[in-house]
Amino acid sequence: MSAGVRPDATELGDARRRVEALVAQMPGGRPGELAFSEPWEIRAFAMAVAAYNSGMYEWSEFQLSLIESIRQWEQGGRDPDTEPWSYYEHWLTALETVLAGSGLLSESMLDERTKVVLATPRDASHQHAHLDPVAVDPAI
Amino acid sequence: MSEHVHTNEEIAARVKALESILIDKGIMTTAAIDRLVEIYENEVGPQLGAKVVARAWKDPAFRERLIEDASKACAEFNIGGLQGEDMVVVANTADVHNVIVCTLCSCYPWPVLGLPPNWYKEPAYRARIVKEPRKVLREDFGYDVPDSVEVRVWDSSSEMRYWVLPEPPAGIDGLSEEELASLVTRDSMIGVGAPAAPPSPGAS
Repeated sequence: MSAGVRPDATELGDARRRVEALVAQMPGGRPGELAFSEPWEIRAFAMAVAAYNSGMYEWSEFQLSLIESIRQWEQGGRDPDTEPWSYYEHWLTALETVLAGSGLLSESMLDERTKVVLATPRDASHQHAHLDPVAVDPAI
Repeated sequence: MSEHVHTNEEIAARVKALESILIDKGIMTTAAIDRLVEIYENEVGPQLGAKVVARAWKDPAFRERLIEDASKACAEFNIGGLQGEDMVVVANTADVHNVIVCTLCSCYPWPVLGLPPNWYKEPAYRARIVKEPRKVLREDFGYDVPDSVEVRVWDSSSEMRYWVLPEPPAGIDGLSEEELASLVTRDSMIGVGAPAAPPSPGAS
């Protein structure tokens, strides 16, 4: 449907190689081991790469910030067996930290915006299950 | 961010908020993010959905369980969302063809199908598939549904996400479940395409 927009396979392959070259140096981010289990994780992942691509920070800054977030968690006396661990929560924390460091973001700004997002139902009626087909085109 | 345990919904909202701030500030565009997401979208699904469909083709008892309660049947594969939204499988038959949409946003059975393709989120698909499903399937997806077959369009919501159990292609006797899964396409589980045909025996 969007054939004109979709990048061709080669271009996609190149882009992927560039991203993986970045990710290969990350803790826990060896190529092929990037498992996403939630849509927000892939979004947060893509945003960090996009912000780097637009020159917001050096990749090494982001990398150090991620290592630091994980280190703090590990040293926080949490029991890794019972505390839920989320790699991409650290990824998000690292992204927030480097963006705040460049003066682009403040925690209160993000907290405010998050409240707005949470308070906005995607659609009032869309919280409810639709039990019948929304349209039927009968057989002739 | 790490001060207290966040629910999945809170984190998802925070990521969305961050994205909207960065876009407002002109640091990035939605298109740039989508472009990166596209590289990785196959990391989650739709191969999971394909496995489920292959099992349903092979095992009539599983097919029944899947149609009865898709969330429960998918749990047999350890597939399921943390948010616990219900998944409902609508089965194609000789008389009925099903297609899914989210008319208002982009609700999608991501535990089985991964992330939605961009066109699924676009207003053009969301509006037109409801008004003229047969025409959209033919013109936009090159998929002809015979006039003798009824087309049903199912609107997913955040509470209930539909996906399609396609009919198996002809000539699949003797294929393993794994071989069958390789024939199941993402589009066939959205309802905008057919599964691939098995390689013909004389071809290799």
